[in-house]
Amino acid sequence: MKILEAKETVIALAGNPNSGKSSLFNALTGSRQHVGNWPGVTVEKKEGRFSYRGLTFRVVDLPGTYSLGAHTEDEIIARDFLFSHPDIVVNVVDSTNLERNLYLTLQLLEMGASLVLVLNMSDEAKAKHIEIDQGRLSTLLGTPVVMTVAPRKEGIPELLERIVTLRGREPRETFRIKYREDIEEEIAKIEALLTLYPELTHRYPSRWLAIKLLEGEKRILQEMNRQSFMKHVFPQVEESKKRLIDRYGEDLETIFANQRYHFITRLVQECMRRKGEEKGTYTLSDRIDRVVTHRFFGIPLFLFTMWLVFQCTFALSEPLVGWIETLFTFLQEKATFILENLGVADFFISFLVDGVINGVGSVLVFVPPIFLLFLAISLLEDSGYIARAAYVMDRLMHILGLHGKSFIPLLLGFGCNVPGIMATRTLENREDRMITMLVNPFISCAARLPVYVLFTGVFFARHQGWIIFSLYLLGIVVAILTAKWFKRYLFKGETSHFVMELPPYRIPTVKGLFIHMWERGSSFIKKAGTIIIAMVVLIWILANLPFGVEYASNESIIGKLGTAMAPLLAPAGFGTWQTAVSLIFGIVAKEVVVGTLAVVYGVGEEGVGEMVRQHFTPLSAYAFMVMTLLYIPCVATIGAIRRESNSWGITIFALGYSLIVGWTMAVLIFQVGQLLGFH
Amino acid sequence: MGESISLSPALENYLEAILNLSEKNGTVHITDLAEYMQVAKASVSQAINTLVSLHMIKHEKYGPIEFTLLGKREAEKIREKHCILKRFLVEILQVNPHVAEKDACLMEHVVSEGTLEKLITFLQSQLQEPLHRERGIEKMSKAQVQSLNELRPGTKGKVIRVAAQGFIRRRILDMGLVPGTEVSVEGVAPLGDPMEIKVRGYMLTLRKSEASHVFVEVTEYARS
Repeated sequence: MKILEAKETVIALAGNPNSGKSSLFNALTGSRQHVGNWPGVTVEKKEGRFSYRGLTFRVVDLPGTYSLGAHTEDEIIARDFLFSHPDIVVNVVDSTNLERNLYLTLQLLEMGASLVLVLNMSDEAKAKHIEIDQGRLSTLLGTPVVMTVAPRKEGIPELLERIVTLRGREPRETFRIKYREDIEEEIAKIEALLTLYPELTHRYPSRWLAIKLLEGEKRILQEMNRQSFMKHVFPQVEESKKRLIDRYGEDLETIFANQRYHFITRLVQECMRRKGEEKGTYTLSDRIDRVVTHRFFGIPLFLFTMWLVFQCTFALSEPLVGWIETLFTFLQEKATFILENLGVADFFISFLVDGVINGVGSVLVFVPPIFLLFLAISLLEDSGYIARAAYVMDRLMHILGLHGKSFIPLLLGFGCNVPGIMATRTLENREDRMITMLVNPFISCAARLPVYVLFTGVFFARHQGWIIFSLYLLGIVVAILTAKWFKRYLFKGETSHFVMELPPYRIPTVKGLFIHMWERGSSFIKKAGTIIIAMVVLIWILANLPFGVEYASNESIIGKLGTAMAPLLAPAGFGTWQTAVSLIFGIVAKEVVVGTLAVVYGVGEEGVGEMVRQHFTPLSAYAFMVMTLLYIPCVATIGAIRRESNSWGITIFALGYSLIVGWTMAVLIFQVGQLLGFH
Repeated sequence: MGESISLSPALENYLEAILNLSEKNGTVHITDLAEYMQVAKASVSQAINTLVSLHMIKHEKYGPIEFTLLGKREAEKIREKHCILKRFLVEILQVNPHVAEKDACLMEHVVSEGTLEKLITFLQSQLQEPLHRERGIEKMSKAQVQSLNELRPGTKGKVIRVAAQGFIRRRILDMGLVPGTEVSVEGVAPLGDPMEIKVRGYMLTLRKSEASHVFVEVTEYARS
């Protein structure tokens, strides 16, 4: 008995976006959760464990979807997981929006899931005078129904009891929506054929499969096309389709969606009552929206919110970053002192201090802005504002080939590309998410500013502001053109859309916000952090090997790399090994370019200006700034791209692409500039 | 579209009468119709049942009579014929208007499409004014069925058809915008796109390009 009980019970958590799925997940698992990615995709995967009555449960939070039609990445993941036979499916439903939420429920039931229906946010429903007959709903759907208020853990004990009772029970007969008679006839005909192939009905319920074949869902069709025996089934499918289309004058996707919603309408009529006046009265949420999406106030309000997010991410974190930097300088000094006293060889001291400790430091400086960013974003998401922000900005962003939600990541990019890229996870579509991520490094972040300040200070002292502004503008233009180009050629087949829900405003819970912030922030440190440290250490090694060379001199590997690369940079007007080396170091962090120039020219930071004056012309200086702006993103950005795209292929593509763009632009500017008589 | 359904003259008269009454009173009941046409209620009921089975009108017991799209279109066609014939009789042949009304009423059921076309051309050349036969009908049906993106905030209606293709259609259907669903336009984003609609008790946004594939039968216009 004990042995049997030791097996984990797998619970899949399914539900619409904004149904309070996360808060239910938190209520069930507490802090025992793990955030990662679904294999091979950018979609976040959350898992957690809990025990109850001596049993262990593993909860898998499926991506929030409105349907299970396998039309988006999210839907495919959710459906594939559901067909991997989790023991129990907990379907979270927003009680205030039963009609649309139950559409997913019906599809789950049609798939034959062992379901517990959770009517979440039942307090909100009560406040809106919505009365739901729990028992009736349970009878009509043939599935247990529990009412909860997840953040307050109301109803959770009952839910746990239901889960325990349902666990290990024989799968009940699959729930049926009774479609119209003539549709049922055609389903039965196809089903009769399908049941002849047990290898098929093992995997999918026959009725479900028959319906999917009629609906003509691409993914199922592709899978079925590979089965040779399906040639005995397809003719019947075609015949049935034709008959129904003739009769209803509509395609079958519409017919089935229509019938499901029709079923729900009747279900809701029977199980739900709205007391008091509902029609024509506007909720608080609607009234807030009158202002937030107002013709004149909408955009200023949005910009103000963005300013707050920007301030929260960068201004608030600035002192913290300063402390971390001070702390690490202190640590480096102390470590050097102690190691020297211990008689450790200089080479190893430098490795530990300048390589490892420095690497860890360069990860930790990102902790304050990343955590604060995620706090701000969680606040925007959980309150429901982010959907409005996207709504307000979509027109403009759509012209640029992007999505309304792309604005926030791009704006954050001006502070630092890392949070910018991390913020792309608010985007729903893969296409929009990828494009926004890939163009983000072209937005000129704050770390490039020291480079601009140095060079413009030397060469363009009178027009410093304008020159720097032109660089920011150039970054934006390149980002826009790249987005357009990617959209046209790289993500051709995929469709961006804006068919979205504007969820009612909700007051976020402090606990929810902090869990959100923590799980996202810590996943950055784990995933991106390792890459950042590895790169910093690698560059240190390149600068110090072979043994005995002076740090970053032209004798070192990095110096030799620089010498080899110099001729390639010559067409851009800065073909010396020193500039090449500084650019390689710039990969660590763009502001490092300045410090590196000081090192390779053998002067202190104060002397850099003079050396730059000797080695550059105004034109080559401008070309060099353009190169700094556009070429390879810094290691932290690379780490973030790797983390968010979940693909080395995309990461390497991003590197190669930006390198080509940066070099081309720098060369173009230098060459054309020369032709026009600049120097 | 194009092909017309062959209705008996009596049924055509019923359709025309319902159209006239509904424009005058708003709603039409069997009693009104019997009075207007001066026939027994029983025969009206019978005709109504036939029209319901032909999908021309909708009628619940004791409830008002409502046109379907098809019925409305058909009724308007018939009335258009009636008007053209009557104008021909009165303005060209100088027939007494009373007689012309009666004759037009009989002629409208039997006149062929070809003859009518010729008549329109003739009338146009005689009266020196463009007379587009379908113009009135199109105006009406355009006003009735519009794509969602054309509707102003405050407009309410019922989804008739989702003509989008591929993923967008699937998504629109999944979100509950299936034929028969009531929608109301709530607003438009500050920059003029996307738009916000209320459907099944929640707020949905979509770009106008997406909304242009959703056809809505307008039931209530925005108050201007």
